[in-house]
Amino acid sequence: MTHIARIGIGGPVGSGKSMLIERMVPMLAKEGYSVSIISNDVISKEDADRMRANLATEKGLLPENLVIGIATGGCPHTAIREDPSMNLSVIEEMESKHPDLDLIIIESGGDNITTTFSPILADYFIYIVDVAGGDKYPRKGGLGIESCDLLLINKIDLAGMVGADLDIMQRDAKIIRKERPFEFINCKTDEGIKKVTDHIIHDVLFDSIPKSANSQVV
Amino acid sequence: MLEVHAPIGNIFEEEFKDLQNGDSERLRISRIELEKRILRKQTDCGTDLGFKLDPGVRLRHGDIIKNKDSKIIVEQLPERVISVKFKENTTSDVKVLLGHMIGNMHRPISIRKEEVLIPILADSERDTFSKIIGHLIDHIELKIDQRVFISQSGVTPHEH
Repeated sequence: MTHIARIGIGGPVGSGKSMLIERMVPMLAKEGYSVSIISNDVISKEDADRMRANLATEKGLLPENLVIGIATGGCPHTAIREDPSMNLSVIEEMESKHPDLDLIIIESGGDNITTTFSPILADYFIYIVDVAGGDKYPRKGGLGIESCDLLLINKIDLAGMVGADLDIMQRDAKIIRKERPFEFINCKTDEGIKKVTDHIIHDVLFDSIPKSANSQVV
Repeated sequence: MLEVHAPIGNIFEEEFKDLQNGDSERLRISRIELEKRILRKQTDCGTDLGFKLDPGVRLRHGDIIKNKDSKIIVEQLPERVISVKFKENTTSDVKVLLGHMIGNMHRPISIRKEEVLIPILADSERDTFSKIIGHLIDHIELKIDQRVFISQSGVTPHEH
């Protein structure tokens, strides 16, 4: 069966995970990449419903049945780390029925800095925080902040209002991440989102052309 | 970019042991990166590698990647670990108790003779660990070190 590249997006509640996906998918679709989305939450499927309404129903960027909400019934971070079987079964079905997909995005909340994705589940891990958590956030480290493939610091337009110093966050992120990348973003205005999709296209898709374009070559 | 689906061997295998002391090109990656199926990374000579590993294949320290006529060695980077060594005459009940407490940390471990290695993220974890084990500290030697950490085989811990 085809293995479709999988990106895990984790971060505290309210940090902007769903909004990030809503901003990334149109950019990836513009480049021709086909994407599906899995959203993990404890009992609610609100994020999945919102993304489906926005990206599938309104914008037509993907079929409605390719935005899946998983109600984990317990801490969603356990469903992406210790026991990812619920997610893996959904992915197996996607890989079987939609081998033409380029990317599967898996979203999960994790209201602490220990969120991480099992390498069995995700090939690439994006951890997102926002400035409202304070400019101490990168400095505090933790598995998510230190081990993710790409760290995102969102809502930079609010920094001045919440007393967060972006220079401090940049300095600390450089120290704790060493050569590994991090980006400042603002999902409300798309600032920095192109850099995120560039990382994905380079690091995960290896700059390959979309599968749909490949199948059109005679 | 050189796309890689599987290594051709490992320098710790008899067939390739001559490569252990050679000056081959190196791909230096972390333990967490070793667990990945898809990974794009440059070697110390700037070769652009894109791993899309075949099902069931995973990278290990010492793996050999074929690049035309040359070979690239995968080298796992050392990381911070707590090293726990039992003092002489430590009784088995102390060892069991300590094992129980280390298990509660939800970290992978590596056991080498009488030494247990536990990967950590910050030096301050030494103090945390000392507090957790309480009076058992009298039975062990504790230090922080930089090691290539290879998780104990035969167990599948989760980490956080």
